[in-house]
This record gives sequence, C-alpha cells and structure tokens, in this order.
Amino acid sequence: MEGTCPLALLAAGTEAKVTDVRAGRGMQARLLGMGFCPDARVTVQCADRGSIIVSVGDARYALSRGIAMKIFVGIAKGSA
Amino acid sequence: MTREIRIALTGNPNVGKTTLFNALTGSRQHVGNWPGVTVEKKTGKVSRNGCEFEVVDLPGTYSLTAYSADEVIARDFILDEKPDVVVQVVDATNLERNLYLTTQLAELRTPLVIALNMADMAEAQGNPIDYRKLSGFLEIPIVRTVGTRGEGLQDLLDAAVKEAKTSPHHEHTIGYGNEAEEMIAKLTDPLSADRTLSGKYPLRWLAVKLLEGDENVLAKVRGGAASARVQSILSSINSDEYEATMADKRYEAIAAILPQVHRTNTRGTTFSDMVDRVVTNRYLGIPIFLALMWGAFELTFTVATPFMTVIDTLTVWLAEFAVASIEPAWLGSLIGDGIISGVGAVLIFLPNILILFLILALLEDSGYLARAAFIMDRPLYALGLPGKAFIPMLIGFGCNVPAIMATRSIESEKDRLISILVNPFMSCSARLPVYVLFAGAFFGAHAGGVMFFLYVLGIAVAIASAKLFRSTILPGEVSPFVMEMPPYRLPTAMTSLMHMWSRGSMYLRKAGTIILLGAMLVWALASFPYGVEYGSAESFAGMLGHLVEPLVAPLGFDWKVAVALIFGFLAKEVVVGSLGVLYGAGEESLTDALFADPSLSAATALALMVFVLLYMPCVAALGVIKKETGSWKWTGFAVAYGIVVAWVLAFVVGHLAPFFIGGA
Repeated sequence: MEGTCPLALLAAGTEAKVTDVRAGRGMQARLLGMGFCPDARVTVQCADRGSIIVSVGDARYALSRGIAMKIFVGIAKGSA
Repeated sequence: MTREIRIALTGNPNVGKTTLFNALTGSRQHVGNWPGVTVEKKTGKVSRNGCEFEVVDLPGTYSLTAYSADEVIARDFILDEKPDVVVQVVDATNLERNLYLTTQLAELRTPLVIALNMADMAEAQGNPIDYRKLSGFLEIPIVRTVGTRGEGLQDLLDAAVKEAKTSPHHEHTIGYGNEAEEMIAKLTDPLSADRTLSGKYPLRWLAVKLLEGDENVLAKVRGGAASARVQSILSSINSDEYEATMADKRYEAIAAILPQVHRTNTRGTTFSDMVDRVVTNRYLGIPIFLALMWGAFELTFTVATPFMTVIDTLTVWLAEFAVASIEPAWLGSLIGDGIISGVGAVLIFLPNILILFLILALLEDSGYLARAAFIMDRPLYALGLPGKAFIPMLIGFGCNVPAIMATRSIESEKDRLISILVNPFMSCSARLPVYVLFAGAFFGAHAGGVMFFLYVLGIAVAIASAKLFRSTILPGEVSPFVMEMPPYRLPTAMTSLMHMWSRGSMYLRKAGTIILLGAMLVWALASFPYGVEYGSAESFAGMLGHLVEPLVAPLGFDWKVAVALIFGFLAKEVVVGSLGVLYGAGEESLTDALFADPSLSAATALALMVFVLLYMPCVAALGVIKKETGSWKWTGFAVAYGIVVAWVLAFVVGHLAPFFIGGA
C-alpha cells in the first residue's frame, strides 16, 4: 500500500482496495450493500466522463465523482 | 384445505426476481436487464401438490436500510406484512454482495429460503457453488434455480413450505465485536419495555438498526415507552462509525465462508467491459446513442409502411362498404363514419407501434439502457437532473405511465418530482400515430426526419423544463449518481417479441375501449342535433369546435382540429381517431383527405404535431402523476405548464416553419 486516496482520482485500469467509505446516511448503507466495504478489491473500468465505472467483484457500478470522492482506497503496489 | 402460504421474493436489483416470479406463477410481469424494473409489489398465485401459494414480487434492494421509494416498498412489506416465508433470490455470479443482504434478512427471524439463481451462469463461468455446504454454514435452506429455464421451482416451493411450517425460528446473527455488542445489549434493555414494538420485531434487530442510525426504526421507537432512554443512549454515539464497523463484520463473516464454497476467481476484463469501452467512450458515447435513436425511428417509419398501406386500404374499403350497405342509414354512418373510420385511423399505426416497442424491448433486454443513463449523466447533471432520470425518459417513448412509475428508483424527492413533471414531454407511442399521419401527409420523403425532430424537441423541452424547475421552484443539489451496470445479454427473439406483444396488445385493447368510445362520442357530436349535415359547423361538434377555435386560431388550427385536440385528452391517439371520424368515410384515406384540406398546410401540420407532443398528459398519465406526487397542485401544474409550453412552441414553429420548408 502506498497510502490512501479517493476512488475518484484513480485512472482507468487501476486496481485498488477499499479502505474506508464515508458517504453519509442512506448512501452509506447503499454502498455497503453494493459491496464497497473495506478490503473489497475494486478496478476502475472507465474514468473519462463525469462519472466513473468501477468493478467490485463481478459487478459493475457507475458512480458520480462526488460519491467516488467519498470512497477511499489504497492502491496496490505494482499497478498504475 | 390448508391455508395459503405467502411467499415474498426479495433480493438485490437485477438478480432475476421477476423472471422467477413469472416462472412460478405463470404471470407475464415486465422483465428487463437494468436495475429498477420492478417498482411496485406484484402478486401472483400458484398451487402445487395441494398447496396454495401467494407469491409477492418485491422491488430490488441492496440492504434493508431503504433509500429510494422502491426500496421502501420492499422493506416495509417484509417488516410489516410478515409473509410466511421470505425467499431471497441470489445472483450466483455475485455471491458476496448478495449475501450481505442475507445477513440482514437473517436477523429478522423470518423464515428464509435462498434461491441461488443464475446458477447455470456461475457454473459456466467456472465458479460452481457448493450450495449444500453454504446452506450448512448459513443455516438457511438453499435451492438452486435457473429462472429463465424454470429449473428448481418445485424444490423452491417445497423448501418454502417446510420453512414456513418450521418453528420457532432461531436468529441467525453475526457477532459485531465487543464494543457494538455492548451497545446492542444496552439498547435491548429499554426496548423490551416497549410492548408494541417488541411484539412486532426482534429486539436485537431493532437495536442493530438503531445503532446504524436507521431513521425509519428510530421513528418507530419515538413516542413509545423506550423513546427517552433509547435516545439518550444514541445521543452519545456516532452511528456512522457503528454502521461501518457492523458492515465490516458482516462482510468478514461472508469472507470466512466464501472460499469454502466456491473458487473466488473474479473474471478480469469481460466482454461487457470491452463493449462498454466503446459505447461509453468520451467521444463515441453520445454519437453512438444518437445514431441508435436515429436508426430506431427510421426503422419505425420505413419497415411499417407496407403493412400500413394494407390496413389503410382495408379500413377505407370497410368504412365505405358499411356506409353504403347498412340500413338504416344512421347505423351505417355510426359504423362506417364513426367506429371504422375512428378506430381504423388508429389501428393503421399498429405496425409502427409494434416496431417501436420491439426496439425499446431490445434496448431494455440487452442492458444498453443503463449505459444510456451513464452517458447522459454529465449533460443531465449540468441541467439539474441525475443520469438515472434518463431511464424513465426513454421508457416514456413507449408510455408515460410506466415511465412515471419508474422514477421511484430516483433517491431524492425533488429529483423525482422534476423527473415526473418533465416525463410527459417524452413523446409516447400514442403520439406516434399523429406524427405518422401528418408527417406522411405533408412531408413525404422527409417524414422520418420530421419525426426525429419531434422526438428531439420533446427531449429538449423536458431537459429545459428540468433546468427551469431546478433553478426556480425546486432548487437544490442533484442527488449523486449511483447505478449498477448489468452485464450485456443477447436478447432472445422470444422474450423480446413477447415484450413487444404484451405492450402492443395493450394498444389494441386501448383501440377497442377508450379510442372506440372517443370515436363514437365524436361521431354523435358530429351527427346531432338531428337533421344537421354530418360534421358540419351546425353540429354539436361544430359548435364545440367553434367555441374553442379562437384559442387555437393563432396556431392555424381550425375547429375540426380543436375538437380532435379536446378529445385527445382521453388518449393522444384519439386526436387521429377524431379526425378520422370528422373527415368521415370517403373514397380517399385520411392522409389524402388531410392533404386535400385547404385549411391545413405543412407549417400548420408541423405546429399541430408540436402541440400534440407537448400540450398535456393524457388521462392515464395524469392519474399516475397524481398517484406518484400525491398532490393535486403538482398535477394541475403539469397540465397548465404543458398547455402554455405547447401553445408557445406551436406558435413559434408554425410561424417559422414557412421560412424553412418553402412557403405555407
């Protein structure tokens, strides 16, 4: 691990591990239910728009950058 | 006779609940490949081996903490209606996240069965699940099902019966760690003093939810016997922290089990990902979307033409025949001028409608709909709507009624209200006959382009209105966009055709009821008072039309159009039906009759199409707007706003058009 940063800042193709989710009432529960829990492995699939597409396991989610700023991740060593 | 067993189907969005529901009950509820298809609970019956079942299909939810209107429906049903068995439909290809909901359902002490659905897909991906072992770990019966092929249905019902008759149900709980457990114990104590609450819900579950800061549970506690003590305990803690910690514990518990029941090999880049790289590309995304739409409308118009000609010829011939040969003459006129010309004028467009529905079905079943929402998120966000609001807009091309229902998956109330109010501007299939008729009569080879312009105009007005509402009467932040992108699936011809037919047959039914009624009404108005010339200015229809004419005269519409517009409120097809009646049965078709009418020009026709596109939601759409907003004020606003916008734009288009299309 090389420290944490918001998921929104990762480039497409980056793999990372969720460290913390702080999204506020309601949205927090939704994200946890979707699988964005600490230690979940996520990969940014698409990052060239206002929203990003992230994979968690075999699921793919579109998240606005605002929400992706509230999911903190640690970047695994070796990946871009 | 044994009593009926009530089964509730719950689970994450897009895991195949409705497919399973349809397979179980023989229903034909709408299925699509995008999250949020089901927004209302649906009930069906099935009887097997002497057992009667009532199956309830619930909207999908990621957790029991409800966030959007459709999730509230799902949660409240399970909590308050107490079904005999809850069947959680689990997507076998997405086990971890699905089991998170399981851990929450298990705390409810409700009889629970898991349907391990899409099991065939998990196996095909090389991830078979040892569901017997998993069932042992969870202490919950698990049945392997494949909803699309109807596999495992009998086993599922058997398991449900067995589980419903087993009692008492022990709690399946997860240990949340010392700190949280201490707080749970602290909360359980005062909660047990509230008899009404403790009689209804498991105490531990209440305590867990309170600790998570669940507003809904807090509201249940408030005012009860435990209220004061619970609130004083809660005031000392940070529920966000607890929510996160407890979620961790749940996922930890799942993570401990998963490696023992299947190989967790996440597939890297899938076919869906590769398609997404193209269709959601920064530069290609919107052009691809527009090209698809353009192609869709070209198809709707061109493929249908030969079929339309046949129906048209048949209608004209039948109407003429009826008028000429049925005695007495008034009955011949009712059947020929009224029923056949009116309903026939609408039936001609069945081929267009079927093609449009088929295209929408393909969009929904393939999974592209969710991508369209993703692509449009940024432009929509800038205009004050979340990307998710684009799905109801596209559904609105079919019919605004289900489209307005589909807004339930939009989380914020204001976003949802805006989406409801602008939805009627999305050009539904009922408006298509009006366009096809007038574009066909006045624009010939350019008819496809004119129709495309109308659809785009509808979208533009919807978006501009959203922007206007957002910056005036409904200010606020756009709720953030969070949406699952389902994997692409190749739609099967069978399901897409069934889709098309189930909606197409609704159009037919409408033709046989409300449109028939409208046609007969207009015929009666055109025929009486007794003795007037049919459809003349002296008839009731003429009087009514002349009364309203001054209001629409600046738009270039005469009294016949005015009458058609009034009755178009019943359903927009009635505009065409009414004109069919008013122009009556002649040797020429309605298209030719309109073209020959000197009071109509290409510019007027265009203004009329714009007016019909925008002027007001039909009765059915108004009903659903009232139901979903719960307010007559907003319903009335939708009507008034629509009429004003329609009038202004029709006026502008009608007066500008001559400069573009070379004289009026």
